[in-house]
Amino acid sequence: MNINATLLAQAVVMIVFVAICWKYVYPPILEVMQEREKKISDGLEAAKKADDSLEEAKLAFDKEMDQAKTEAAEILKKANARASQIVGDASSKAEEEAEKIMTSASTSIENETNKAKEELRQQMSEIIIDTTQKILGDEISPEKHDAILKKAAEDL
Amino acid sequence: MAKELTTQSYIDHHLTNLTCGQLKDGGWSCDPHDVENMTFWAFHVDSLFWSIFLGGLFLFLFKTAMPKNATADTTPTGLQNFVEMSIEFVEDNVQSLFGSIKNTLIAPLALTVFVWILLMNLMDLIPVDFIPVLAGHIAFYLVGGPDHAWITGPESFYFKVVPTTDPNITLGMALAIFVLTIYYSISVKGPKAFISELTLHPFGKWLIPVNFVLEMVNFIAKPISLGLRLFGNLYAGEMIFILIALMLFFSSIAIGVLGFGLHLVWALFHILIVALQAFIFMALTIAYLAMAHETEEH
Repeated sequence: MNINATLLAQAVVMIVFVAICWKYVYPPILEVMQEREKKISDGLEAAKKADDSLEEAKLAFDKEMDQAKTEAAEILKKANARASQIVGDASSKAEEEAEKIMTSASTSIENETNKAKEELRQQMSEIIIDTTQKILGDEISPEKHDAILKKAAEDL
Repeated sequence: MAKELTTQSYIDHHLTNLTCGQLKDGGWSCDPHDVENMTFWAFHVDSLFWSIFLGGLFLFLFKTAMPKNATADTTPTGLQNFVEMSIEFVEDNVQSLFGSIKNTLIAPLALTVFVWILLMNLMDLIPVDFIPVLAGHIAFYLVGGPDHAWITGPESFYFKVVPTTDPNITLGMALAIFVLTIYYSISVKGPKAFISELTLHPFGKWLIPVNFVLEMVNFIAKPISLGLRLFGNLYAGEMIFILIALMLFFSSIAIGVLGFGLHLVWALFHILIVALQAFIFMALTIAYLAMAHETEEH
């Protein structure tokens, strides 16, 4: 084991090699590695974000769906109520109309009856007067006995 | 080399570096017989060759693993996966020790240290004779002859393959880290805090010399232990490989077969040491630099 200038030469060689590695070899490799590392971590983060937003979208979708369902149910309910109301209104109106028609019909029947009665009474009194005239001759004239006839008609 | 191959010469051969250096009289030589006469300015050519080759291989692999058009959108394939895995591993370790402190040098430094040492340690798993013998033949073929009298045959050419079994290499790396530690200690904490850290405790300002000696031991011990730990582990591993290889020298077939078995077992176990020591070196590098960034809490 003899120490000689090899030692110094090796020290110098080492410094040169380290310097070359430091300046030319190491940085480009490290740069690529760090870049890739960053890219991967960015990618993972983006994937996580996408996952989160998908979850969020699902939740929002579910919520919207629920709301739509309740709304639809409400609308249906309202429609049903409205329909039954319309039916109810219509039937009550129809009943009313029917009653009205019945009333007016009965009224007109009564009027007609009265009118017929009146006419009948008139004709009867005329017939009676005619007959009485024939029996009594000309003693009785409608002009002379108008008052009596009128009273008779009223009594009938 | 006409010398007979003995156990001693075999081991020596595997533990000797190919050394080129300045001789005491001023000339330069690569002759192993001159090693004793060399000054400090001698270089282990084999260690440095493998160290630079494997360091270059690391940089080349990591540079070319990334396709030119690689972006965050392209799927990583093949080698790119391996490279990214290594970087992630290093980043995790740096993150756990450094926390919030931002220093872009630490991670590339740790990566270089880890992969480079791992590659150098892995050379240990190549059977001990393959590369030295090959190199010996190539050297003998290329330059053997009267001009280089010391290369008398392929086996006379020393060629150590595992750089981390050379203390110069491991301590050299530790030295580079030591320098960085001092640099960051001063630039992050400021020279005043750095000096007071070395002198004002454990005993307060009245015992500055004692404090300084104690802290200095602590300070210097870190790089030395860092370098020697790696060297020791790999040297011992290499040594055992050599000893196992020696079993083939015995004429008994049984011992030879046992040697093969042992080699397999030790190689499998050694994979663990190879990776573990590279990791320990990296972790301690990060830890020492993290300490340099920490402001005192005493």
